[in-house]
Amino acid sequence: MSGDDDENGEAAVASGLGVAERDLLRARLRELPDTVPPRAVWQRIEAQARAEGLLRRPGQGAPARWLAGAGLAAAVVLTVLNLDALAPGNPPGGDTAGTFPTEPPWNADRRVVRLKALNALMVESRQLEEDLRALPDQPQLVRAGTAATIAAVEDQIAAIDYQLNHAPADMTDEELEVYWRERVRLMNLLVQLRAAQAQRNAF
Amino acid sequence: MGTSHAVSGPNAPGKRRRTRGRGVSRFTDKDIDAGVVRQAARGDVRAHEILYRAFAPAVYSLCLRFTRVPAHAEDLLQDTFLEVMRSIRDFRGEAPIGSWIRRIAVTKALMFLRSAWHSRGQGLEDDWEEVTPGSPDGLGVPAHPDDALDLDAALASLPPVARVVVWLHDVEGFTHKEIARYMGKTESFSKSQLSRAYQRLRPLLEAETARADERAAADPLPSGC
Repeated sequence: MSGDDDENGEAAVASGLGVAERDLLRARLRELPDTVPPRAVWQRIEAQARAEGLLRRPGQGAPARWLAGAGLAAAVVLTVLNLDALAPGNPPGGDTAGTFPTEPPWNADRRVVRLKALNALMVESRQLEEDLRALPDQPQLVRAGTAATIAAVEDQIAAIDYQLNHAPADMTDEELEVYWRERVRLMNLLVQLRAAQAQRNAF
Repeated sequence: MGTSHAVSGPNAPGKRRRTRGRGVSRFTDKDIDAGVVRQAARGDVRAHEILYRAFAPAVYSLCLRFTRVPAHAEDLLQDTFLEVMRSIRDFRGEAPIGSWIRRIAVTKALMFLRSAWHSRGQGLEDDWEEVTPGSPDGLGVPAHPDDALDLDAALASLPPVARVVVWLHDVEGFTHKEIARYMGKTESFSKSQLSRAYQRLRPLLEAETARADERAAADPLPSGC
C-alpha cells in the first residue's frame, strides 16, 4: 500500500501547508508511541475463542473410537511419502511447506535429521504391528480388566491414526513425530498386554 | 511467553526504535515466522498469543485513536483478534500478516464508528461543525507543540472522520482511493478531509518548523562535521 504523494501534495497545498511541514507531520505522527492494551483483554479473547471452539487443545479433535486398522493404511502412505522425501535429489518434506516456502536453507539439514527420526518411528511402528499379528488371536474368555485396558489402548491408537489420516498437508514434521512417537509407545504397550494375555491362556 | 524467537521488528526486545519510512507502518514492520502463522491456522493457542503480543499494541492504538474511548478500543481489539482466529485459515500469505490484521482492525473500527454515528443520527459526513479548535476536552492546538502528547492531543482535536483519514493516509500509508473504499465515500471526500485537517494542524507545524529553523541557525554546523 503506497501513499499517493501527488494527491497528498494537493491536500497540503490546498491547506497552505508546505511540503516540509507535511513531511514533518507525517514523521511525527509515525513516531507517536503505541499504547499497550490491558492484560485482561487477551484473557477475554482466549476465553471467548475457547467457547467458540476456535482454539485447539493438545490431542483435541479425535473421536473416542475409530477402527484401529484404518490407521495402518495411513501409516503406510505416510511412510512411503516420507521415504520419497528422504530419497536423494528430493527436497526434504516434498510439498509440505504449504503456502510459505520461505524456510531458510540452514533448516534443511535439521529437517533431514527429523525426517530420519520420523521414518525410524514408522518402521518401529510397522514392526510392532507385525509382532502383534504374530501373537495368537484374542481368546474368547478374557479378564474384564485386561480387555478394558486393551480396548482403551486400541482406542488411543485409533485416535492417533485418525489424526494422521486427517493431517493437514502443512502439518509440521515435529507434530508428526509427536504422533508417531506416541503411536509406538502405545503399540509397545498393546503388544505387551496381548503377549501377557496369550501367556496366561497358554496355561 | 517468549516471542522474541518468532517476532522481529524495530520494537522487538533488544532493538532500537527507528522512524518508520513511507509505506511502513507498525503493522507491516514486524516479521512473523511463517510457522507461527501455520500453527495459528490450526488453532494453536500459543501461536495466536504470539500474533496478539506482536500486533495488539498497534491494533489497540489505532482503535483508541479512532474512537478515543479505551473501553471501545478494547472491544474492537477483542473483535479484531477473534476475527483473526476465525479467518486465519483463509489467509494465503500473499501480503504480510500485519497488513491482513490491520485490514480487519480498520474494518471493525470503521464499522463501529459508522454504527456509533448512525445511532446518533449522523452519517460518515462532513462533521467539521462538531468540533472547534480548543473547545471540547481541552483538546485544541497544544501549547507546547514539541511534545508528542501535544500532537496526540492535536490529532484528537480533529473531527473523527478527519482523524481517521489523517491516520490511514499519513501513518498507515493508505491511498485516498483505498480510504474512500473503506469509508464508502469518494476520493474527493478523503482529499478534502485531509486538506482541512492539515489546515487545522498548520499552526502546530509552523511553530515546530520555526523552532527547527532557529536551532539550525544557532548551530549551523551539525555535530560530526
